[in-house]
Amino acid sequence: MINKLRIIAILGLFAALTACDKDLPTFLPYESIEFSTLDSDGGTWTPVLLADGSDILIPAPEDISSAAYQAELAEVEMEISGMSESERASVNYWTNNSAIRWNEIALELIAKYNLIPGPNDDGSYTLPNPGNPDGPPPFPFAHPPYAVRALAYMSVAQFDGLISAWHYKFTYNRPAAFKQSNSIEYAYQDNNIPSYPSEGAVIAEASRRVLTAMFPLEADYLQEKADEHTRSLLLSGGYVSSDIEAGQQIGQEVATLALARASQDGMSKAQTPKPVSDSIANSAMERYGWQWINQELPRRPVGLTPFYGKVQMWSVADVADTRVPPPPSLTSQEYLDDIELLKYYADNMTEEWRRIANFWQDGLGTYTPPGHWNDIANRYLVQYKLNPLRTARMYAYLNMAMMDGGISCWDSKYYYHYPRPIQQIPGFETIAGTPNFPSYTSGHSVFSAAAAEILSEIFPQEASKFRGWAEEAAISRVYGGIHWSFDATVGTAQGRDVASYTITRMRNDGSN
Amino acid sequence: MKNKRQRIIGLLLGLFIATSIQAQTPSDAVMMGSRMLCVLFDYNQGRFDQYWEGPNLRENQTIATVRSTTVLGMAAIGISNNLNVYVGLPHITTESSTPNGGKFAGVSAFQDFTLAVKYKAYQKDFENGQLRILGTIGFSAPSTNYLADYRPYAIGNGAPELTYRGIFQFKHNNGMYARLAGTYIWRGYSEAEREYYYNNGSYYTTWMDVPNAVTVEGVLGSWFMDNALQVELSYLSSTSLSGDDIRAYNAAQPTNKVNWGRVGALAHYYIKSVEGLGFVAYYNQNVSGRNAPKMSTMGVGITYFFNFLKPKS
Repeated sequence: MINKLRIIAILGLFAALTACDKDLPTFLPYESIEFSTLDSDGGTWTPVLLADGSDILIPAPEDISSAAYQAELAEVEMEISGMSESERASVNYWTNNSAIRWNEIALELIAKYNLIPGPNDDGSYTLPNPGNPDGPPPFPFAHPPYAVRALAYMSVAQFDGLISAWHYKFTYNRPAAFKQSNSIEYAYQDNNIPSYPSEGAVIAEASRRVLTAMFPLEADYLQEKADEHTRSLLLSGGYVSSDIEAGQQIGQEVATLALARASQDGMSKAQTPKPVSDSIANSAMERYGWQWINQELPRRPVGLTPFYGKVQMWSVADVADTRVPPPPSLTSQEYLDDIELLKYYADNMTEEWRRIANFWQDGLGTYTPPGHWNDIANRYLVQYKLNPLRTARMYAYLNMAMMDGGISCWDSKYYYHYPRPIQQIPGFETIAGTPNFPSYTSGHSVFSAAAAEILSEIFPQEASKFRGWAEEAAISRVYGGIHWSFDATVGTAQGRDVASYTITRMRNDGSN
Repeated sequence: MKNKRQRIIGLLLGLFIATSIQAQTPSDAVMMGSRMLCVLFDYNQGRFDQYWEGPNLRENQTIATVRSTTVLGMAAIGISNNLNVYVGLPHITTESSTPNGGKFAGVSAFQDFTLAVKYKAYQKDFENGQLRILGTIGFSAPSTNYLADYRPYAIGNGAPELTYRGIFQFKHNNGMYARLAGTYIWRGYSEAEREYYYNNGSYYTTWMDVPNAVTVEGVLGSWFMDNALQVELSYLSSTSLSGDDIRAYNAAQPTNKVNWGRVGALAHYYIKSVEGLGFVAYYNQNVSGRNAPKMSTMGVGITYFFNFLKPKS
């Protein structure tokens, strides 16, 4: 009897422990939102690529008393009545602020493609090629400069698209489907936003098209997501087909504009051939007497995107305006002190320093530092109940400022071509991976400071938190052993400076 | 008496060798009498210069040859003739050979504390030998705040583990024996120091699901030299029940599906002149795998056994 009880007890313990179903969050959980503002004048805000919110022409909507509209209404009633459980879950997932979901999709693809190509058997390296995206290696390598650019173009297309949508929403004031039929129950909070054109459809189509250009191997996956999203709009009870089609048209057109800019922004030339890369390094050697050299085995012949500093910026006319002063010479006391500082951190590594180095590392295989700041921003735009237009505005300026920051940072990196700690300190070992580009200034510091400034402008109540995190992200690279302390401090100042150009723009876009 | 002592030590070996690789619980079929205590110190060195990235065996000059050095202290206590308890704690140091392309710092820390209980459920004597069936339940958990999300230098999974094992052994009267053991390992979450990771999709959490696993072990062994020398050959395989593959030229992480098959040989010699003292040496080699290092391990140990309640006469 006792034996039996013992066996039962053991089996019970076993069952209890193995029944834990290990559910972990794969997206930001939030319900549909009652927005803090409506911004009915949003159609008058200044867009980024469009000249005006009325630039894109869509047909005037049919009157709600028309037979055509009534037929669309009947379609919505019918589709909702046949809604499956998975479709209901999909409506809840996309919510009434779906740009967050597309941002998460972008972050997921960034993490999926943020893999550095390894060496071939003969020690050479093959670069991802957009002309042959299947590879190997697959295209793209979604490193931080690539990632922030993808986020910027998607966000700018969303923002311009929603300014255009807001223009027509409050021009035509077509009431939402659920207000026309007693048998339609709206799945989300009623925010009294006119339904023509559907803002969700703008977001779905603009995001799908931009991301498909940035991640060509994901075309089918993105189409599937866009279809699911678009269907959820109809099933939400807020939109009829013509609302959705007009939104898709706007999404198409803003994406075309965004991709036209992207095709000519200089990114395709950012990864230089070896002779160009060597001459950049030689220039620094002649100018300053130092040059960064990749320390990997086998050695990578070219650093990451040496000409990213020449990519067209969003809010700064000339990148040289944001170039930082030269780093300390290799004989200066400041430099020698920094060697001792780095050795000190490495030899006395605390759990707190290690935690900070890892928390902000956002290295290979992750969503990168710009992705981390989008993730952070997502939580605040939900907390502060931003409407879809304000959400798109936040993403646009956040990612434009971070991309400008990245361009400015890369300009300094390859102009000064400053060596990394592992190149200079014999036997030095790090707890973070040393990236394949020069040290000065720190990309993490610039991205983070730029992001913190934009978020502080939008959520001033949280400014000290954002700025504190940006400084922590900056010093994290020094704890990690891969940056000098001046890479971090000067990089933070650089990020703030670059962001100020975006902030000037924000304050004059008609939204305040 | 001597046989019993040897069995106890052999039992400890089963525990520590497994622990040095993946913190398993005792896998052999011997039981120690009540009030008996056996302590063991083990030193081993593992190394690999190739690993399986998904199913593909590769080299990686970023990490070059990775070495790990383990020092282990362990004790086995006989509570009753049918119930034994084990405790153990390894200290592990990892590093890459130089030159390497990554310049990563290694790690040195205490790993997981292990507590295991073995229960003899069944025993039957035959004309030519004896059959035993035993069950083991083990628990282990990190004893320090080492970081599991720092592969390949991380010293463990950083997650609590529960192991449930069944052991069947037939021992022939001529000293030869055969053993089969199967284990189910439940593993909890490992906490990373980042709030996002990719595991065939995005995860917005610091917690990583370390896959549960099943192991199967087959052993052939024999006693020689008037029961002073024990020799064993073994095959041990471990299979994760979920998890993702290491991505191309990317670091491993605790969520990976880790499978491996390993062959091993062990010899244990008991000193005639000092009662209770023995020496052990062993070698293990991974021969197959998925998301696992092609690790080879050489180890030596000292075992000492005594009756802890009886004053020495």
